[in-house]
Amino acid sequence: MASAPRYDAIVIGGGHNGLVNAAYLARAGRKVLVLERRPVVGGAAVSEQVFPGFTFSVFSYVVSLLRPEIIRDLDLPRHGLQILPLESTVTPMENGNYLSAWGDHDRTRRELYRHSPRDAEAYDEFGRLMHHMAMAVRPILGMIPPDPTSLSPRDLMSLLRLGRHFQSLGADKFPWLYKLMTMSSADFLDEWFETDVLKATKSASGIIGTFLGPRSPGSAYVLLHHYMGEIDGAFRAWGFQKGGTGGISDAIASAARELGAEIRTDAPVARVLVKSGRATGVALENGDELHAEAVVSGLDPRRTFLQLVDPGELPTEFADAIKRYKFRGSSGKVNLALSELPDFSCLPGVGAHHRGAISISPTMAYVERAYDDAKYGAFSRQPYMDIIFPSMIDPGMAPPGRHVMSIFVQYAPYNLTGGWTDARREAFGDAVIDAVARFAPNLKRAILHRQVLTPADIERITGLTEGNIFQGELALHQLFFLRPAHQWARYRSPIKGLWQCGAGTHPGGGIMGASGRLAALEMLGMGGRANGGGGR
Amino acid sequence: MTLDAIVIGAGLNGLTAAASLARRGRKVLVLERRATIGGSHATEEVFPGFRFDTVSHDAGWIAPSIVRTLELERHGLKLVTPGYTLVSPQSDGGHLALSPDLARSAESIRRHSAADAAAWPAFCGRMHRLTSFLGMLYERPAPIPTSTAPGDLWSLLALGRRARALGREGMIDLLRILPMSAAELLDDWFESAVLKGALGALSVRGIMQGPRSGGTAFVLLHRHAGAPAGAFGAHTVVRGGVGALAGALAASASASGAQVRTSASVRHVLIEGGRATGVVLDSGEEIRARAVLSSADVRQTFYELVDTTALDPEMLRAVGHVRQRGAVAKVNLALSATPAFRSLAGGDGLLSGSIVPGVTLDELERAYDDAKHGGISRRASLEIRIPSLHDGALAPAGKHVMSVRVQFAPYRLADGWTAARREALGDQVVAALAEHAPSLPGTILRRQVLTPLDLETEYRLPEGNLAHGELTLDQILFMRPVAGMARYKTPLDGLYLCGASSHPGDGVAGGAGWLAAKAVDFA
Repeated sequence: MASAPRYDAIVIGGGHNGLVNAAYLARAGRKVLVLERRPVVGGAAVSEQVFPGFTFSVFSYVVSLLRPEIIRDLDLPRHGLQILPLESTVTPMENGNYLSAWGDHDRTRRELYRHSPRDAEAYDEFGRLMHHMAMAVRPILGMIPPDPTSLSPRDLMSLLRLGRHFQSLGADKFPWLYKLMTMSSADFLDEWFETDVLKATKSASGIIGTFLGPRSPGSAYVLLHHYMGEIDGAFRAWGFQKGGTGGISDAIASAARELGAEIRTDAPVARVLVKSGRATGVALENGDELHAEAVVSGLDPRRTFLQLVDPGELPTEFADAIKRYKFRGSSGKVNLALSELPDFSCLPGVGAHHRGAISISPTMAYVERAYDDAKYGAFSRQPYMDIIFPSMIDPGMAPPGRHVMSIFVQYAPYNLTGGWTDARREAFGDAVIDAVARFAPNLKRAILHRQVLTPADIERITGLTEGNIFQGELALHQLFFLRPAHQWARYRSPIKGLWQCGAGTHPGGGIMGASGRLAALEMLGMGGRANGGGGR
Repeated sequence: MTLDAIVIGAGLNGLTAAASLARRGRKVLVLERRATIGGSHATEEVFPGFRFDTVSHDAGWIAPSIVRTLELERHGLKLVTPGYTLVSPQSDGGHLALSPDLARSAESIRRHSAADAAAWPAFCGRMHRLTSFLGMLYERPAPIPTSTAPGDLWSLLALGRRARALGREGMIDLLRILPMSAAELLDDWFESAVLKGALGALSVRGIMQGPRSGGTAFVLLHRHAGAPAGAFGAHTVVRGGVGALAGALAASASASGAQVRTSASVRHVLIEGGRATGVVLDSGEEIRARAVLSSADVRQTFYELVDTTALDPEMLRAVGHVRQRGAVAKVNLALSATPAFRSLAGGDGLLSGSIVPGVTLDELERAYDDAKHGGISRRASLEIRIPSLHDGALAPAGKHVMSVRVQFAPYRLADGWTAARREALGDQVVAALAEHAPSLPGTILRRQVLTPLDLETEYRLPEGNLAHGELTLDQILFMRPVAGMARYKTPLDGLYLCGASSHPGDGVAGGAGWLAAKAVDFA
């Protein structure tokens, strides 16, 4: 029965990008419905009480990349956004020493002097360079990718503007940007520093969520991607949302609702309804059909196009490109409920380091060997880990005197040899805890509960294909106008009325929201504005 | 007599630059430290009666424009097209044989995978479209994306037009494939481990990366530039060894009036008033010229041949950071008989090109893992040539010379190179060869093993790197050798770079010398 569309747009998936998209559409007066499969909104940015009294940011656990214009446009602080800064990053070393980096630049510099006066000197210059590079890339993050093969005036203008932007970097800066796009993070850092533990810790930003080692070209870009974060204008500051990352999703959802969007949870979409090459709505798993002028998917490209859409509706070339698009999930997560804080041998007792991040990246060879294991289908016997103690920043996360510990783990390949089983999940969890316990021997006796999430678990729970936290690797050949596929990088799809707004589109992963916002602008016909032009 | 130009080094690039300048009426002197010309492309009598392509056994792409302009064929150059460009013997008795004859290659691939055989012609076509584009780039100075000079903007625009001429599919291939890893590219197209391994070995040639590293797809394409579609591997062979190409270039240069002096080692470049005015030899002899072209690698040029006190420290730092990690050792074998590969018996011409003993992508990657952590690959990837099959004069009658490139043998070996480690590497290579050619060890008359350290000491290859700087995406085009010096001019007036450190780099015979000669300003 064809009935008149009830909604202007239906957004599939209540992850942060879907919510941002809905909020912007609602803000423009559109009637929007968000459909979320799970009982909670947020996708991979959720807070859940996994064990009684212990609340976890189950998957994504820190924020820095959330676009300031979104915070402003949606007035998110009023809706509960409250980012508490992480003060430090401490890397325990194998010789009992440690390296620490602080929000306070001078303090970091003094600490570096302890390791290498030369590196302390280079650190200033390096910081300036990365700041410039992040500034150079920032306009591109807020830009709707042009199609370099198109001859349309809009594309040509965008390309020209892009060309001018790069030229304006000049002969002294453009080569550095080019290097960041093409080099390995290890090689890039080797040009600046001599302290191995410093390079190991910095290079770790280049492998997060990516099936690359620090010596693999391409990892320097991921390093830059993680440098683009901004909290209150301070670059490279990572923060923690009060109540866990779910609080960010809740704030966006609250803003969207206030702007008139409707959000339904426990509403899994079975397929996109397509009639004569045009998306007309969605069918839920319970059989309900909902109709709309436009359907926007916040899911990853493989899920959107190869599962929700009848393959016959897609051009072969496009379907092939989506099949080729690489996910290669490589990260796991271990969440621990603790009776006491881990006591790190390098910094005994409870201290400021517990309010920041602990990086398990003692040497460059350690991190590279972690990758070596994963390359051949095993989880890292000694993985790189990024650890925080949310209960130290927000005591409400755990019962009094107790703590929650979040361990992000690289590498745990989705395609584990023999596949993931319950036994392998536990073996992986054991390896993670053993690797941390080398630096904090009391850890094992402090564990009350543990939750181990493999990429297969991440996929099962959040729907992220292969458990890739970025909805597809941030590899050079999957960025900008190639994300997720050539010609379809502008949030549209070959099916009229079916749009994409997830991290599988430009500019990609992290709790950034840019994909959701840019998709909304493009849908509203305001895409040209994002690119610095005057409308279209 | 005042010289117009001195060229430091009589390798392929130095000789090409000299021949090109001389042809345009310039008075040129080439100074070669060694007694033999050719540099890393020399053919030398290592053992009495046996002449080897001692270091590099492949001249790469020899651009027809250079051959024609310098009349190299008249000066003795004979190019041979091998029957097969790439043959990969397998330990199970089968083999893979590739050539520009796509149908014949597909026939060979079919024995490993019918689907891959079907995909082969399309793959070759798609790759060839890209390598033709690269070939075009390699025949002209590197475009400088940040330059606002009208000439540069014009050539950028022209380049954009040529990229568009690739068509939509070609353009996307260009943008998408270059930064990919070879493993990803090959996995997209093929299923056969035999085929993927053979092409994978080409993709890591000379670089310290495994086939899973981003940018190795570019290396595959770079090594294929100038070749006919499908001719992966040894698409052109110089009869008489690669040194014969150096010989023809030297003959062409001499015929135009250039002088080539061997055993003439340059101690440093003379700098007067911020300008290069000549060179001083180890003997103390001073020779002056209006321009000095160095085909030594960029780091040696600036760190050893030039007084750097007046130079920009940023530039020197960039030069110091050029990555040139030696990854290859060389084993040269004098053989008493034609090598008999078990799986290549009876095939006509199967030994005429590049022979790559069967290897999988995972084995290549593990070989790289060993090297990246400072060890010699436990199972190194070998690439073999037998030049005496094309020219009997390279060895006594019935005997042969076999040239083996061994990857990975890192320059920075964790425990350092010693004579014992060198010989152990030689033994390892012979044992690996014996797996495919069991009778071979019994036919070895003499053996020479060159470690990356040997290559640096004897041939002045930096860290033993045959390419004067790894050919990775971050070190090509306007970034080669460093940003700001891609057009052969240096910050010192009168001093030019003309070696493989410069665009287009190793793999394009004489390409850098050819373009550098055009950049010399005699005004």
